[in-house]
Amino acid sequence: MAKTIVGIDVGGTFTDIAILEDGRLRVHKLPSTPSDPSVGIMKGVMEACPQFVDGGGEFDADFVHGSTVATNALLEGKGGRTALITTLGFEDVLEIGRQNRSELYNLNVDRPVPLAPWELRFGLPERVDHNGTIVEDLLPEAIQTCVQLIEEAGVDGIAVSFLFSFLNPAHEEAVLAALEKLPNNPFISISSKVLPEFREYERTSTVVVNSYVGQIVSRYLTSLENSLGKGLRIMQSSGGSITARLAADQPVRTILSGPAGGVVGAFYTGVQAGYPDIITLDMGGTSTDVSLCPSRIKETTGSQVGGYPISVPMIDIHTVGAGGGSIARVDAGGALVVGPQSAGADPGPACYGKGDQITVTDANLVLGRMLPDNFLGGRMTLDRQRAEELIAELASEISLSVQETALGIIRVVNANMARAIRAISQERGYDPRQFTLLPFGGAGPMHCCDLAHEMGIPRVLVPARPGILSALGVAIADIVKDYSRTVMMRGDDINRTQLDEEFHGMEGLAREELEKEGLPMDRMVPQRFLDVRYVGQSFELTIDYPSPRRRIDTARMRRSIADSFYRAHLQRFGYADRGEAVEIVNLRLKLGLKMDKPQIVAGQAADSGSTPALIGEAQVVFSGGSVTTRLYDRENLRTGDQISGPAIVLQMDTTVVITPGWTGTADDYGNLVLETE
Amino acid sequence: MAVDPISLEIFKSLFISVSEEMGVALQRTAYSPNIKERRDFSCAIFDPEAQMVAQAAHVPVHLGAMPASVRAAIDAFPNALRPGDMVILNDPYLGGTHLPDITLVAPVYAEENGAKRLAGFVANRGHHADVGGMTPGSLPLSTELYQEGTIIPPIKLIRGGRLNKEVIQLICRNSRTPEERKGDLAAQIASTRVGERRLQEIIQRYGNDETQEHMAALLDYSERLTRQAITRIPDGVYKVVDYMDDDGLTDQPVPIRVCITVAGDEITVDFTGTSPQRPGCINAPQAITVSACLYVIRCIVGEEAPANQGCLRPIKIITPRGSLVNPEPQRGVAGGNVETSQRITDVLFSALAQALPELIPAASQGTMNNLLVGGHDLNRNKPFVYYETIGGGMGARPTKDGISGIHTHMTNTMNTPVEAFEFAFPMRLKRYAIRRGSGGRGKYRGGDGLVRDVEFLAPARVTILSERRKFPPPGFHGGHHGETGENVLLRGGYEEVHLAGKETLDVEPGDVLSIRTPGGGGWGAPEDDE
Repeated sequence: MAKTIVGIDVGGTFTDIAILEDGRLRVHKLPSTPSDPSVGIMKGVMEACPQFVDGGGEFDADFVHGSTVATNALLEGKGGRTALITTLGFEDVLEIGRQNRSELYNLNVDRPVPLAPWELRFGLPERVDHNGTIVEDLLPEAIQTCVQLIEEAGVDGIAVSFLFSFLNPAHEEAVLAALEKLPNNPFISISSKVLPEFREYERTSTVVVNSYVGQIVSRYLTSLENSLGKGLRIMQSSGGSITARLAADQPVRTILSGPAGGVVGAFYTGVQAGYPDIITLDMGGTSTDVSLCPSRIKETTGSQVGGYPISVPMIDIHTVGAGGGSIARVDAGGALVVGPQSAGADPGPACYGKGDQITVTDANLVLGRMLPDNFLGGRMTLDRQRAEELIAELASEISLSVQETALGIIRVVNANMARAIRAISQERGYDPRQFTLLPFGGAGPMHCCDLAHEMGIPRVLVPARPGILSALGVAIADIVKDYSRTVMMRGDDINRTQLDEEFHGMEGLAREELEKEGLPMDRMVPQRFLDVRYVGQSFELTIDYPSPRRRIDTARMRRSIADSFYRAHLQRFGYADRGEAVEIVNLRLKLGLKMDKPQIVAGQAADSGSTPALIGEAQVVFSGGSVTTRLYDRENLRTGDQISGPAIVLQMDTTVVITPGWTGTADDYGNLVLETE
Repeated sequence: MAVDPISLEIFKSLFISVSEEMGVALQRTAYSPNIKERRDFSCAIFDPEAQMVAQAAHVPVHLGAMPASVRAAIDAFPNALRPGDMVILNDPYLGGTHLPDITLVAPVYAEENGAKRLAGFVANRGHHADVGGMTPGSLPLSTELYQEGTIIPPIKLIRGGRLNKEVIQLICRNSRTPEERKGDLAAQIASTRVGERRLQEIIQRYGNDETQEHMAALLDYSERLTRQAITRIPDGVYKVVDYMDDDGLTDQPVPIRVCITVAGDEITVDFTGTSPQRPGCINAPQAITVSACLYVIRCIVGEEAPANQGCLRPIKIITPRGSLVNPEPQRGVAGGNVETSQRITDVLFSALAQALPELIPAASQGTMNNLLVGGHDLNRNKPFVYYETIGGGMGARPTKDGISGIHTHMTNTMNTPVEAFEFAFPMRLKRYAIRRGSGGRGKYRGGDGLVRDVEFLAPARVTILSERRKFPPPGFHGGHHGETGENVLLRGGYEEVHLAGKETLDVEPGDVLSIRTPGGGGWGAPEDDE
C-alpha cells in the first residue's frame, strides 16, 4: 500500500488539506489562523486524519506544506533586523538597485525600503576579479572588526555578498566561519551558497531576503515539524518540494510556494486528462495568476516579490490586478476602467451588502451568471438588487443600459486578463491557440469561455474541484533541489571535460547535502541544464545539457550546445543567427525524486447514483442578449454527460459559465472539457 | 460600432500592449548592453497622419521625437511608403534627436476588399553605443553635427520586404563596434515587424474603420484628461530662468528662459529669451523641447492617460528659431538630448511650482552624467565602446524626501551591473555608492547623488558630458540646493585632477575616474533654519 500523502495549503482565508490515500483524494477545508498558521494546520490534520490522533502521532504519512510565512514576512515588513556584509565601496548596491524608477510619470514614486538598512551594511576591503583571482586579500583583522560591530548592533539575520564570490567563495567562507561564532544564533546566509550567480544586485537582494525571513521561517518550520513528527516537506516556488530543514536553510526558495502549488496541480490535471499543453488561469478576488505550460512547467529566475528581486528558480507566473473584486469606474477621460483597485473581501463587492463599489462579481451577478443563493455553497446570500441599482447609476453616467454596462465590465476585465495571457504566450513565442485553458480559483471558470474566445483558444478544461488545486499540487509535488553556478564560458573556451567536471562537482556537493536529509539517494535523478546566450548579450535561455551518456567530443559538444540554443532562440524570438558565437553563463542542476502520482478517479461522479444533474433554468445575459439557460449541478454530472451552452454549472467552490457556442463533456476524472463548435 | 467607454478602454489596452510587445521583442533580441541591460529604447504606434497614439513607458526624451521621425519619413517619401517598406533615420534635424538614436519607421497597411489601405505606422528607436564620429560613443564635444558620427537621412532600409543590406554595411563600417550595430539593427527590424503584425491583427479582428475611430478617440481621450489637469492649475503667467553650466567650449553660462501662461484649459509655453544656439554640442532640436513639455504635462495629468499627441493639443509651444531649444541645422546636438532636455524639464517644473507649490518637487540632479569610454581590449583583442548614464539625487517632494541614486525625468535607463561590466570591458569598478549628504536639506531632503569610480585596465579615450557642475539643483520653498556634481581623475590612482563637466581625455591603465553626481534640491525650510 502506498504511503499516505497529506498536502496542506494555507491561504489567506482557508486552509485546504488534501489527503491522498490509495489513489483517492479527500479534501478538508477550514478557516486559516493567520496569527499562527500551525494552529489551523494541526486542527485540520486532526479532523481530517483520525489515524493521526489514534496512532499517537505515529501515523505513517508524508506531510507537504505550501507556506506563506516567508511571503507574509516579506510583504508585511515583519522580517528580522538584518545586516549585510559586502565588498568595500559597494554597500549601497542593495539600495541603488538598477537606478531606475518603477513608474515613469509618477512624481511621488517610491522605492522599496532596503531590507538591510544603511547603518547595518558593512563593507570589507577585499576583491576578486572576473577570472576568480583574488586581487585584494581579506585580512582577518577586518573580519574581526566587522563581526564585533555586528555583535554590538544586535541582529536577527546576516547576509554576505562579495563581488564575484560565485567564482571564488574563499572570502565569503572566511567571513561565515567568523560569524558562526556569534552568540544568539543569528540567521546567516552567504551568496556563494544561496545563489552563486553573477549580477550583484539581484544576487545580493536574494541573499538579503533569505536572511531577512530566515529566523521567522526556521522557527515556524521547526515547531511545525515537531508537532507533525518527521516527514514534513515544504513546497518551493519552483514547484518542487524539499525537506523542512533545507527549506529552513533557504527560505527564499519558498516565497511563492502558494501559487506554485496551483500550477503543479493544474498541470497534473491537464496531463491526466490528456491535455499537457495548458495555460493556467487562477482568478481570485484581487488578482489573476496566469502561467503557460508547454508540456512542462516553465521556470524563471527573474522574479520580483514586493519590488525585491529574487533570482532563485520560480514557476513562471504572471500576475495581473484583475479579479472578482476588481472595482469598475468611469475615469476622468470617460473610459470604463476595471481594477487594479479591489474591494477585497471586506467590504467586498457591493452585493456582499457592505460596500458600494461596483465590482466584477456584481456584474456577473446582474448578468445572471452567478446565482445569489449559491455563493460558497449557499453559505452567503448575495444582494442582487443592490448590485443592480449601483450598476444602473454607472450606466446612466455613460448613457448605456444596465446590461450593456455589466457586459462592458466583464469585457474590460477579460481584456486585462487577455493581455496577461498574451504576455506569457505570444510575447514569448507561443501560439495560445495551441493550448488548453485551465481555469481555477473562485472566479476563473466564470470567465473562461469568453477569454478563450478572445484569445482563439479552442478548449477549456475545468477541473473537478477548482478550489483545491493548490492543495493537490502541494501533495503531489516531486522532491527537487536546485543548484546553479555562473561559469561564463565563451564559444571557443567551451570544453567538454571541464563542463563535466563542473557538473560532477556540483552534483557531489548536492548529494552530500541531500543525503543528510535521509533521502533515497539511489533514486535521486540529476538533470543538467545550461543558461546560454549570444556572446555579450544579457538574456540567457536555458537549454538541456547534452546527455552525459552520449560520448561526444568537445567539438560536437560545442555544436550541440549552439544548435540547441539557436532552436530555443528561434522559438522564443522568431529568429536565430547561426553564425554568431554563444557563451555559457550558468550551469544548472536539479537533483530530484519523482513522486508516484496517484490515478485520481472521479469519486463524486461515480458515487452519484441517478440524481439528475439538470436542476432548473434561469435568464442569463450573454453578448447576444438575455437567454433562457439551463442550470446543472456539478456533483451529479457523470462521465460522458454533455452540456451545450448556454449553461451554468453550479458547484460548491465555483460557478462554471458555458457561453453559447461551447459544449462541455464530463470526462473520466470529473473534469469538464469545454470545446467551441 | 461607435466608440463607447467600454470599447475605448479595450482599445487603449490593445494599443498599449502592441507598443509594449514591440519593446519586449527589441530588448530581448538586441545585442548591445546599452539596449538590453540599460533599456535605452522606445516603441510607439501612430495613426495614418503620424499622430502618436500610444508609446510604451520607456524613455521620456523620445516622446516628442518619435512623431517627428514618422513625419519625416512620410515627407521624404510622399505617397511612396508601400507595404513591406521600412525607413531608417537618425538625422536630428529630420525627426531624430542625436545621432546614436537610430529610428525605424514602418507603415502598416490593412487589407480591405482586396485593396490595401494605410492604417497607421509603427516605429522604434534605440540608442546605439557607437555610430562613428570624433570620439568613442558618438556623443563628442563637437562644434558641428558632421563631427558627431554617421548622419542617416530618412531612407528605405527595406523596400517591399527586401532588405537593403548595403545600408547596414555602410552603418556598420562607420561604427567602432560593427557587430553590435548589426545585431541591434536586426532586433529593431524584428520589433517593428512584431508591431506591424499585431496592429494588423487588431484591424483584422475589429475592422479598419473601427480601429481608426478608436485611434482618434484615444487622442481625444488624452486631450480631455490633459485639459482637465490644466484647469486645475491656477490661471496666470509663470516665469523662470535657469542656467546650463556651459556648452563645453567656453565657460559662458547658458540661460534657458520660459514663460508659462495658463488660461483655462490651455497652456502656452514660451522659450523666448533663451540663449541663442551655441557653438558647442548642447543644442536641442525642437523635437527634444517638445518631448520635455510632453513629459512634464504627462506627469501632471496622472498615470492613466496614454502618452500620445492628444496631450499636446491644449499646449502651444513657442521656440524661437536659432535658439538653443530650436537650433538651425548642422549645429552640434550630442548633448541636447541628454543634458539640455533635463534643464528644459527643470525650468518647466520650476515655473509650475509657482502655480502648484503643493504638487511639484524641487529640482532633481538635472543631468544624465554621460560617460563614454572606448579603446582596444588587448585581452579580448577587439575594440570596445562603453556608454553609461549615471543616476543622482531626486528633488524632495512636497510630502516626502527625494530618492537617492536614481534616474529622474527625461531618462530611466538602468545601470550596467558591476559584474556584467567587468566581464565585458577592460575596466574595474572601485566604488559604486550613494554620495551621502549631497542632497539639499529641507523640511524634506533632496535625494543624494552617486559616486562611480572606474579604474582603467587598458588605454582608453573617455568623454564625459555632464551638467550641474557649477549651478546646483535648486531647492524649493526654502529648501537648500543639492550639491553640484564633480568629475575627478586620479592619475595613476592617486594624483587628483579636477575635470570639467564636459571633457574628452585619454587615460592609461591604473588611472581612476571618479564621477560624483549631484544631489536633489530640498523642499521647504529645514526645521533648524531661522
